Amino acid sequence: MRSMPVPMLPLLETRPGPLPAQATARAAWAMLRIGAAAALAGPTVLLGRALFFLLVMLVLSSFWGLVGAERVSGLVGELPPHGLMCYVGVTEWITLSVPAVHLRLEDDLRRGGIEAQLLRPVSPLLMRLAEAAGGMGVRLAVLGATGAVALQFTQAPAWSLGTWAALGVLGLLGAMLGLLFHALVGLSSFWLRSNLPAYLMMQKACFLFGGLLAPITLYPAWLAGPALWSPFAAHLYWPASLTLLPQGSVAGVLGPALLAQGIWVVLLGAAVAGLWRAGLRRVLREGT
Amino acid sequence: MPLVIDAQDLHKHYPLPLPRPRGQGLAAWLFPKPHRLEAVKGLSLRIEAGERVAVIGPNGAGKSTTLKMLTGILEPSSGTALVHGLVPWHDRRALARRIGVVFGQRSQLWSELPVRDSFALWRQLYDIDAAEFSARLGRLVERFALAPVLQQPAGRLSLGQRMRCELVASLLHGPATLFLDEPTIGLDITAKATLRDLIKAHARDEGQTVVLTSHDTRDVELVCERVVVINHGRIVIDQPVEQLRRQYIGRKLVTLQSVQPTLSLALPGLKMRSTEPHRSVFEVDTRQVPVEQVIAEALKQGGIEDVTIEDPPMEEVIHEIYAGTHAAVA
Repeated sequence: MRSMPVPMLPLLETRPGPLPAQATARAAWAMLRIGAAAALAGPTVLLGRALFFLLVMLVLSSFWGLVGAERVSGLVGELPPHGLMCYVGVTEWITLSVPAVHLRLEDDLRRGGIEAQLLRPVSPLLMRLAEAAGGMGVRLAVLGATGAVALQFTQAPAWSLGTWAALGVLGLLGAMLGLLFHALVGLSSFWLRSNLPAYLMMQKACFLFGGLLAPITLYPAWLAGPALWSPFAAHLYWPASLTLLPQGSVAGVLGPALLAQGIWVVLLGAAVAGLWRAGLRRVLREGT
Repeated sequence: MPLVIDAQDLHKHYPLPLPRPRGQGLAAWLFPKPHRLEAVKGLSLRIEAGERVAVIGPNGAGKSTTLKMLTGILEPSSGTALVHGLVPWHDRRALARRIGVVFGQRSQLWSELPVRDSFALWRQLYDIDAAEFSARLGRLVERFALAPVLQQPAGRLSLGQRMRCELVASLLHGPATLFLDEPTIGLDITAKATLRDLIKAHARDEGQTVVLTSHDTRDVELVCERVVVINHGRIVIDQPVEQLRRQYIGRKLVTLQSVQPTLSLALPGLKMRSTEPHRSVFEVDTRQVPVEQVIAEALKQGGIEDVTIEDPPMEEVIHEIYAGTHAAVA
């Protein structure tokens, strides 16, 4: 074995840390653009998604027509015409826009791709989320435009510019929450062989507590109260609830909706970061 | 030359998942005794700047674990290491800017994106100055002959083309040390030869340190000048490749072309490896009989037209080391 005396390489005078914050932000932005480009590179997939969105809206508007929206109008305030159809349209707009980042994370962790990613100077999680956010932005735009066009062919009253703007902001925040939910599910792969059970639980919770198909205010009071302030409602109900309001009363909802979404973005973001750190510690200690 | 890698007494053990014991009570079932697998046992390794070192060993020997610890993606159970003056598992992201890594079985490129876009993203990931990036990319594209594939998505490239792209991606930030994990796996002979030449030429020209793991002994012979053999988590051999040959071979292959169809030589330490009409290959144990004596004996019989003396293939040497037929010298 070699044992020649050789000079030691001294510790670096300036230990280069990870990338500076600005460079990290530039890298994340570049990754976001990559995600958007990848989504735009599959126009047929986007078209299929838009058609599926229309089909869902068509089916659900028929459903609510059959059930009789006028019967529930007292429970959800002064329900505008086609309000429930628009409500479901918004929840589906958000749901269909959120990419399946949990599958990418599962793949990274199960197949060991995480090792190559850890050898870069930027957080692999940040890169995955930025990439997913890029794709999500494209889907939000395409499905949003699809919904807006479809709305013109119904007898729903035209929305004010304020309603559209509020819907854009709350919809984007709702989609971000969806992305964080999916990230949490994906990160469970650090410990679970498959994240499918976690995904199904998340999906059902969105259905139940998020008001995916029907406004939470239709629920019994004991369920509606807690559900309203759950992260699932911040994900779906709050943005969609704008469609249940009479024209001109959006401002009253915007405050609590933004508050709920803001709080949950911070909390879920912290949960994602915490779970990532815990999982990473495990991988660095035990390998993949 | 200064040291770029200095690892001392590295140990790594993994918890081993075992089936839960039955018939030993609920407590034993709920909290089974953890077993552990010792992958690396007291490994010390020093590599100087500019060296090209092959780390080889049979499957499960601990070479991948060693490579992971040196690149910072695995913490050792005990021991110390400095790579470019940094503790890899504490300064992983900082170290990432000083090293390049290629995994032969994992792609770093975005399969759906043109290769050029993946490279452009690399510039952002490593915060490379635009002018420096452009100049470096130009040089690498020329050296690795990648111009025709830059616009193609990585997913549509042949494996050989893709590996050249992977190598370029890992070199774009100008790493001082390159870690290569099975870089030629799955490639055809021509692509392997091309890749080996490129790795060696680039490392030599740039004074780059290379740490390579491979099961292909030709990678070891043609790229590296030093070989570290790991077995059962320990270094069993650490020598220049040529010295390994000389020290561990102790044998030569002597091929004799003769006028007569067969040759018959009877000497101690000499055995016939193969024979065909007018061509005989003998294996000579040089510790028992010098090669000159074998040739002299053959010349005595007359009719010798040609003589070739060769070392046995590296593959045989490595195989014998793994099989433990030679004494360890660690």
